[in-house]
Amino acid sequence: MKIKNTTLMTLTLALGLAGSVYAAEEGDIAPDFTLPSIHAEAADITLSDLRGKVVYLDFWASWCAPCLKSLPLYNDMYHRYKDQGLEVVAVNVDNPIEDGTEWLIDTPLDFLIPADPDGVVPELYEVFGMPTSYLIDTDGTVKLVHMGFRDGDMEVIEAEVQELLAAQ
Amino acid sequence: MKTHYSRSLIALSTTALALPGISQGDAPPLDSTFSYKFSNYKEDDLSRTEAPFGELERYDIDVHQFQLITPWGRNMALQVDGNYESLSGASPWFTSTGLDGEPVVNLSGASGIRDRRSELAIGARYYLENGSIGGNIGYSEEDDYRARYIGLSGERHFNNDLTTIGLGFSHSADDIFPTDASLFNRVASESKQSTSLVLSVSQIINQTTTVQTALSITEQSGYLSDPYKLFDVRPDDKTQFAWSNSFRHFFVEAEAAAHVNYRLYHDDFGVSSHTLDFAWHQNLPDDWRIIPNIRYYTQSAAKFFTNIDNPFTSSDQYQSSDYRLAAFGAISGGFSVVKNWGVWTGTLTAERYVAKEKYSGYTVALPSTALVSYTRLSVGFDYTF
Amino acid sequence: MKQLPRVLALFLAFAMISGCVEVRPWERGYLARDEMAWDSDPLESALNDHIFFSKEASSGGSSAAGGGCGCN
Repeated sequence: MKIKNTTLMTLTLALGLAGSVYAAEEGDIAPDFTLPSIHAEAADITLSDLRGKVVYLDFWASWCAPCLKSLPLYNDMYHRYKDQGLEVVAVNVDNPIEDGTEWLIDTPLDFLIPADPDGVVPELYEVFGMPTSYLIDTDGTVKLVHMGFRDGDMEVIEAEVQELLAAQ
Repeated sequence: MKTHYSRSLIALSTTALALPGISQGDAPPLDSTFSYKFSNYKEDDLSRTEAPFGELERYDIDVHQFQLITPWGRNMALQVDGNYESLSGASPWFTSTGLDGEPVVNLSGASGIRDRRSELAIGARYYLENGSIGGNIGYSEEDDYRARYIGLSGERHFNNDLTTIGLGFSHSADDIFPTDASLFNRVASESKQSTSLVLSVSQIINQTTTVQTALSITEQSGYLSDPYKLFDVRPDDKTQFAWSNSFRHFFVEAEAAAHVNYRLYHDDFGVSSHTLDFAWHQNLPDDWRIIPNIRYYTQSAAKFFTNIDNPFTSSDQYQSSDYRLAAFGAISGGFSVVKNWGVWTGTLTAERYVAKEKYSGYTVALPSTALVSYTRLSVGFDYTF
Repeated sequence: MKQLPRVLALFLAFAMISGCVEVRPWERGYLARDEMAWDSDPLESALNDHIFFSKEASSGGSSAAGGGCGCN
């Protein structure tokens, strides 16, 4: 029966795809991209320009509650380690962009914030859930993929960042 | 004589499914939220044609609802719910024929009598990668009724989180000990049990549309009659089915969401019903929202419904003149106004409900003279911290 | 009840809709809005269930799950 076959096919496809969930898994080279900044007057941001630094790449939106919780904490982390070579790149995927810029008015953040309303870069990274972050070492290799943001995650993330910065 | 009213059917609603469950999102909340709502609803008085003798005033009810949801550790959320209700007024005691042979209703005694009901429930939810499981236990008590219940539920996401399947279970054990039992020849102490299962499937259709379908089955056994109604005898078990469907769509240009719900119901007392409700959530500038809504409900009569009690039926023949088992239709509608100020949200709601024989979509063989209409006002707030 | 087989068949048909459009995790902004939740005011829904239950013969409904922002 038609309905049944479509369901079976979709289930098979879904199960098949489940094996290759991330296009950027730990050990892969982080896919390069260039995006405009969410701040109109700032320069475009290209990931490969940051080679030689430890990069914490995050995907966020104003409608994602855990994302909003994490960003001020990332800002503190950025200030603590930027002199040791940490760069934070938080890609905003709000569509319309104004939703993102409006939220930023009340919560100023000092790191790089590219704007990607069409979702080109999360597609490239095959982001599986919001938020997802990638800790990238100085060679451009993904060292840690972190999905979600829950109580206690900041300690884990910061420990990994410290480890990478020390290894430079 | 002292007046009491039937709370047994109201208390039946305190199954785990009736209490608000922790929002089954994808992750535990990161903040705590406290909510409170106060409501008052007052049933319209009966007219002299409907009740030629005695009391005309029906129920006047105040309800206080409290809820606290708080994260616990990395993967869990806890929830506490409390309700406090106080009721005054009178309710149909029996039906008979009036001076011209037409069915009339007789309300129980004088007004000014109050009953209070308190309820407390505690629940927890554990969030995994692709779903969550949770449970709650609760207890409610009033002068003549006591209920204890437990609920368990789980849900799992599939298909890149586009499909969610949920399963819920609840069980309630209730005791009724009618007041003035010996005085009015009522049963002294009875009990009933109720068990429910719900299976639901939710699907994201596109960026602005979601649909959900759910099937529930409930089995009740024990004392199901109304001890405060003079000639009320019902079967001692009841099986119920409900099929609910929901639709949500967001209109980007209008910045508004449409909610449509439809439920089909049937039980083996012979009652079938259709419920259709519609709400429009309209966002306005400065964090205001207005939500007009409308509902249509119609049910068929129970097999043993009668609008004129027969005092001489034998104990093995079922009978009830409870208007809740009659065939009728009801139209209700109202609106809510919501305002958000950062961590505070305030809500004001007004609603009017009217049940009439002529609104019924089913044939009304025996119209009830005790159909109810009421007006409700509610005010509440949420605080996130 | 006689209609049960028909109801079950319709229910299963609904359940088998396996997604008309692929909505990616970063495209769930509209679904995340609280006015798009199954239950945007849980106390109001609980109160209504309670009141309607005491005035009508029907009970039972759905559990609310799915939709939303998909945030982790």
